[in-house]
Amino acid sequence: MSAPEVVVIDYGVGNLLSVQRGFEHCGAKVTLTADPEYILAAKRVVLPGVGAFGNAMQALEQLCLVKVIRELALRQTPLLGICLGMQLLLDESEEFAVTAGLGLIPGRVIQVPKETMLGESQKIPHIGWSSLQPLGCPDSWRKTLLQDICPGESTYFVHSFMAVPTNPIHRIAECEYGGHLIAATIGRDRITGCQFHPEKSGEVGLKILRQFIIQ
Amino acid sequence: MASGGCVIRFGKNLNEWDVVKNIRLIARLDIKGPNLIKGIHLEGLRVIGSPSEHALRYYLQGVDELIYMDCVASLYGRNHLGDIVSSAAKDIFVPMTVGGGIRSVEDATQILRAGADKVAVNTAAVANPLLIAEIARRFGSQCMVLSIEAKQVGPERWEVYTENGRERTSLDVIEWVKRGVSMGAGEVLLTSVDREGTRKGFDTALVKAVTAEVSVPVIASGGMGKPKDLLEVVCNGGADAVAMADILHYKRAEIGEIRAAAEAAGLGVRHYERT
Amino acid sequence: MKEALFGLPQHVIFCRQCVISNQRPSSTVEFKHKLEEMKATIGFDNEGVCDACRYHQVKEKQISWEKREQSLIELLDKHRRSDGGYDIIVPGSGGKDSAYTSHVLKYKYGMNPLTVTWAPHKYTEIGWKNFENWMHVGGIDNILFTPNGRLHRYLTQQAFLNLLHPFQPFIVGQRIIGPLMAAKFGVNLVMYGENQAEYGNNPDENYKPTMDRKFFSVGNPEEMILGGKLIKNIIAEKNFSLNDFAPYIPPSADYLERNEVEVHYLGYYLKWDPQECYYYAVENTGFQANSERTEGTYSKYSSIDDQIDMFHYYTTLIKFGIGRATYDAAQEIRNGKITRKEGVHLAQKYDQEFPHKYFKQFLEYIDITEDFFHETVDKFRSSHLWFRENGEWRLRHTVWQESQ
Repeated sequence: MSAPEVVVIDYGVGNLLSVQRGFEHCGAKVTLTADPEYILAAKRVVLPGVGAFGNAMQALEQLCLVKVIRELALRQTPLLGICLGMQLLLDESEEFAVTAGLGLIPGRVIQVPKETMLGESQKIPHIGWSSLQPLGCPDSWRKTLLQDICPGESTYFVHSFMAVPTNPIHRIAECEYGGHLIAATIGRDRITGCQFHPEKSGEVGLKILRQFIIQ
Repeated sequence: MASGGCVIRFGKNLNEWDVVKNIRLIARLDIKGPNLIKGIHLEGLRVIGSPSEHALRYYLQGVDELIYMDCVASLYGRNHLGDIVSSAAKDIFVPMTVGGGIRSVEDATQILRAGADKVAVNTAAVANPLLIAEIARRFGSQCMVLSIEAKQVGPERWEVYTENGRERTSLDVIEWVKRGVSMGAGEVLLTSVDREGTRKGFDTALVKAVTAEVSVPVIASGGMGKPKDLLEVVCNGGADAVAMADILHYKRAEIGEIRAAAEAAGLGVRHYERT
Repeated sequence: MKEALFGLPQHVIFCRQCVISNQRPSSTVEFKHKLEEMKATIGFDNEGVCDACRYHQVKEKQISWEKREQSLIELLDKHRRSDGGYDIIVPGSGGKDSAYTSHVLKYKYGMNPLTVTWAPHKYTEIGWKNFENWMHVGGIDNILFTPNGRLHRYLTQQAFLNLLHPFQPFIVGQRIIGPLMAAKFGVNLVMYGENQAEYGNNPDENYKPTMDRKFFSVGNPEEMILGGKLIKNIIAEKNFSLNDFAPYIPPSADYLERNEVEVHYLGYYLKWDPQECYYYAVENTGFQANSERTEGTYSKYSSIDDQIDMFHYYTTLIKFGIGRATYDAAQEIRNGKITRKEGVHLAQKYDQEFPHKYFKQFLEYIDITEDFFHETVDKFRSSHLWFRENGEWRLRHTVWQESQ
C-alpha cells in the first residue's frame, strides 16, 4: 500500500518545512506546490500560513488559488487550514483594513484582546501552549481531527488575530487566553482549521496530523 | 467579540474570575561546533555532550520550546547550526529558536529553511537595528526574537553586551529593548550575564524592568538553580517564559518537576503526559 | 638586517597543534636576568609540534594519575600536622589556581595550609573581591605580604625601561614568597599550582615534582640583578639599603638544604586543567570571573587581580610577537576546550589589543610619560618580528596568516 498523499499549498507565505516534516513523520508523502491542477486533484490539502491576512489573500489571488480552494470545498476534499491558513477560511478579517477571506466558514477574524477579562493588559501575540477544550460534551470530537485527543491536552499557539465563526456549530475546540475564549479548532463538512500549529505541538499535534492523513 | 460569558475553569478549583498566566519552559542549548557546551558568565565553556541527545531528552520530558545558540558564530562570522537544526527538525516537533551570528536576512532565511521557527539576533541588531525590521517584515514579528545580554552597571541600570558577553556597547538595556521592539521584534530573550551559569536565581529586577516597558513576551534566561527560581522571576519579574540551561544539562532537575512546581503555584503550563 | 633580538630563533614558526610560536621564552632565573641575556625558547620537534603539546599528550596517555596522587598522599602524610601548626605553605593570590590548590589540600587531603600572597602591584576591584572570598568563603588562612612600594615601583620602572619586563619584580617576589615564608614559619613543604614547564619550559622539568632551587635561592644577594641592574649598584645610586631588598632576597641555598625546604608543584600530582580550577574555585571559594573580558584576550577569569598584569602581556607581545590571547588559546587547545581553528581566530581578534583600561595608572605607577612609554617599547621590537607600514607597526608573521 502506498503512502497517503498530502498536498501543501505553497503560496510563498510561511514556513512549510515544519508542516512537511510533521506529515512525513506520520508516514505521508508530501508535495509542496502552487499548481492549481495538482491541488485540485489532491486527496487532501493543507493550507498553511504565517503573517498578514491581506498579504496572504493577495498571494492566493495572484496564483489563482482562491477559486481552486473554493472548488476543493465543493468537492469535499479534506482541507486543513493551519494558523493564518485557518483564518483565511473565514469571510473576512479586520487586520489593517477589512479584507475578504475565502468565505468557506461563516464568521470573521478579529484581534486577540489586548486585555484580560480582569482588565489587565496581556501580551500580544498569544504565544505558548494552551489546553484544548470541547464545547459541550467531550464526545463532540469523535468525528473530527481531534478524535484521538483528550480534553485538556495542550497545543502550541502563536497568533495576534483570532477567528470567530458565526455559527457555534463550527467551533470544535476552544482554548483560553486571559480569560477570553479563543477558537482553537473550527470545522465544517470536511474543512478543518487549527489556530495552533499541530506540527509544533509535540505528540498531540502529530495525532491530529495522523487523523488528517487517514481521512 | 469572543463567545461571551464567563470562563468556566476547566477542572480547576479557581474562582471563576481568576485568570491564569501561561508560561513556557524552554531549554537553552549553547552550541560550539558539534558540542553542547555550558559556561559560567558565558565563559569557561565546558563540553557537555551531544546536542541532539540532550534536545531529544528534553523533548521527551515535555519541554515547550528549544533555543539553540551558536557561541562561536560571531568569531567566525556566521551561524553554523544548519545541520544541527535540520536533524533536530526530523524528530522534534516543538518550536525551535536559533541564534548566534545571524547577520542578515539571508542568514535568517537559511536558518529558517533548515527547520528553525524563529531566529534570535543580538550583535547584528545592535550594529544595525534595521535588520530587526527587515527580518520581521519578511518572516513576521513572531519569527524575530531580540536577544539581549545584560550586565548590571548600576542600581536599576544594565548595559547591553554582545558577542556572547565579550564586548560592551554602552547601550542601556531598557532603551535598547524599547527600540528593538518598536522595530518589529515579536519576542525578547533576556539573558543576565551576571547570573548565567551561577545557579543563584534570575535577575528578577532586570526582567521586571524590561517587562514593564514592552508588550511582547519576554523570556528570562540566566541563573536558574532550582524550580522555585522560576516562580520568582515569573510572579515578581513578569517573565512569560524561562530559558533553562545549567539546571537541565547537569541534570539537576527534570522538566516534569519544574512544570509541577509551576502548576502548584497556580501558573498555566503545557499539559503534558509522557507517552 | 632582520637580526633577531635576545637570541630568538630567526625564523618564526607556529605549532601545528596549538597556536604558540617558537619565539615563546622559557622562564628565566629573574634575579640573574640581564638585557644581554640570550633567551631559551620553547622547543619544536621536526613535525612542527611544540614541547607543550607533546607533553600534553604524555599527560593524557602515559601518566598514571592514580600513582601520582598516591605519591602526593605519601608526601603529605610525611608533613601533616595535627597540633594546629601549619604544615604546608601555598603561595598564591586567590585566583582560580591557588584557590583550587589551597582548598583541595585543606579540605580533601586534610592538610593545614597557610596561604601566602605576594601583593599585586595594584589590586583590581575583582581581584580584591576574589582575594577576600578566598578566605571568607573558602575558609583559608592567609598572609598578605606587600613589599616596600617605593622600591617596588622603582624596580618595576627599571625593569620596564631596561628589560621591557615590568612584571619582573612581581615574578621574583612570587617565586620566593613561598620558601621565604616556609623559612619563617618553620614549615618544610611549599606547594605551588602548575608547573610552567607544562607551557613550554624545558620539558624535562615536567618529570620532577619540585621546583629547581635555582629559582629561589642565591649566593651573594648584592650580586643579584633586578630591573637589569646589580643590587649593589642600585644601593650606590639611589636612596635604598640592602634591608629594603630583603623581600626580594630568597633564603640562602644553605638554609634551604639544612631545613629541607621543598617546593613542589601540585600539577605534578593532580592532572592540571585551568578551566576545571575555575569551576572548582567558583563552587568552593566564591571566585567570580570578571564581568568583562581582559584586554588582549578573550578570557574573563585568568589573572585578573593586577592592573599592571596587562602590561606584562603587552610587553611579551612586543618582544616575542605573541599576545595574551595566544597564550590562553594555546592552553585551551591542548586541554581540548577549543579547536585550533577557534584559537587562531581568537588570537587574530584579541592578541594585539592595546590595554587602555589601566594605561594611565601604569604610567603613573612607573612615573613615565606616554611618549616615553612608546619610545621604550619600540626599542624592543626585533626587526625579525616587526616592520613599519604606513606609520603602523605590524607583525611579519602571525598564526592567522600562516593558517590561511
